[in-house]
Amino acid sequence: MNTTLINFESFVEWDNNPFILFSNLGKILYLNNAAEILFGYVSQKELYDIAISYATQDYGYRSTTLALSYDTFSFHAITVGYESEDQISLRLYNTPRIQTNHKLQTNKFITTDINILLEANIALFKTKNTNPLSLLVDQDLPAFKIDQNNFSKLLRKVLDAFRSSDSIDISLKLLIGQYVMIEGKKEPLVQLNVLANGRYSDADHEIRALANISQIKCLLNEQSIRMEVPLIQ
Amino acid sequence: METFFTTSDKIQHIIKSFNLTKTLFVSSIIIGEAHTGKKTLARYLFPDAFLVSGTDQDAVESALENYDELIISDFEKLPNPSQLNFDNKRIIATANYMGNASLIDALFAFIYMMPTLLERPEDVKYLKSQFVKEACSTLMIEEDKVDISTLPLNLSMNAKSLKKSLYIDLLKLSMGKKEIEDVMYQYLYKTLDGNDGYREHLGLFEKPLIQAGLDKFGSQLQLSQVLGINRNTLRKKIHEHDID
Repeated sequence: MNTTLINFESFVEWDNNPFILFSNLGKILYLNNAAEILFGYVSQKELYDIAISYATQDYGYRSTTLALSYDTFSFHAITVGYESEDQISLRLYNTPRIQTNHKLQTNKFITTDINILLEANIALFKTKNTNPLSLLVDQDLPAFKIDQNNFSKLLRKVLDAFRSSDSIDISLKLLIGQYVMIEGKKEPLVQLNVLANGRYSDADHEIRALANISQIKCLLNEQSIRMEVPLIQ
Repeated sequence: METFFTTSDKIQHIIKSFNLTKTLFVSSIIIGEAHTGKKTLARYLFPDAFLVSGTDQDAVESALENYDELIISDFEKLPNPSQLNFDNKRIIATANYMGNASLIDALFAFIYMMPTLLERPEDVKYLKSQFVKEACSTLMIEEDKVDISTLPLNLSMNAKSLKKSLYIDLLKLSMGKKEIEDVMYQYLYKTLDGNDGYREHLGLFEKPLIQAGLDKFGSQLQLSQVLGINRNTLRKKIHEHDID
């Protein structure tokens, strides 16, 4: 089959996986829609450096399994290819979202003021640590249904990850305009962000597991943990 | 109603956290050495909660079925804690030690570590004055005649050893010659046996006599004069009774 007659550009353009074509000087010659959004969170140089580092020695294409994450984006592999000295392409493969098999039993949830749970966990944290801690909460957040025990365990582990951090900033706010579907209903989201100059990552898998139970989206970065909690009424 | 006194920052934070979660259905555990006030604190914060001991697995399981709010003491003694279901219950457990850390981590949302009395000097001061007051009343000793600062502190077993040692020390202070003779009589009556009784029990009298004399007069020379015995005899007895 003679593929040269087909224009593949729109297929690449609308691919969900970011695709970038760099010049030999690291300038962007082409990028698709997904890559355009990605550049809001990562520098051109960083991706160019990755492309150079993982390129084959001679002309050709090579795929490498590589865990990369930029804010909410996470990738599990890349393909780097070049056919001339002038251009090099980088394609990043989105990590598939694991569909949770866990079904939320919202009827067992208890309507809770999240501020109280947060304050109680901060008091627990303060029994063991003396790190300075700042808290910015939205007192007008309505009470919502949550598994109090599981969410408390999650909060304990999240705060524990910051046990040696110099100063910890905690903020809690409603995410305007963002929703999640739970049991066929559109539910608003509350964002809890804990940020410091660094943190421990020893309990990350436990944090992910506990978050998963309550269908909380969890973003674990080097210096912060961000959680999006469904505000189930 | 139970009362709980503390000036410890750590315990104040524990109380704050408990007060915030008082109306929530979460599971909490207080872990710390024996006799540090864990159960007293739980009773003070949750006076109406049903109390069950972890020594009896069946009793704990049946209490979990019947009550939404429960204090489980001696949690470390439960034979099968992994079988318990704390869903939507308000559980306050106390344990003398962590035991299976990963199980405790999985079962409890709030894990508090109770500081020992040694870490709470202000609390010790308060407890000491309370125990002295109580002991004086029980032993019928006039409180104003006791110099509380001279009473030593035994914190090896936290509040238990503190209370016991204060009672014994106050009892000793209240004793006169007659009571001491009675105590000696009881002891000797119980232990006197064999064929060398005189020599074996003489130490009961000689050792405190020489020890007190040395503390009071400082030098062996002066003490030998006070006791009216030869200095060499005194030195021999000091060595015999292993006195420093």
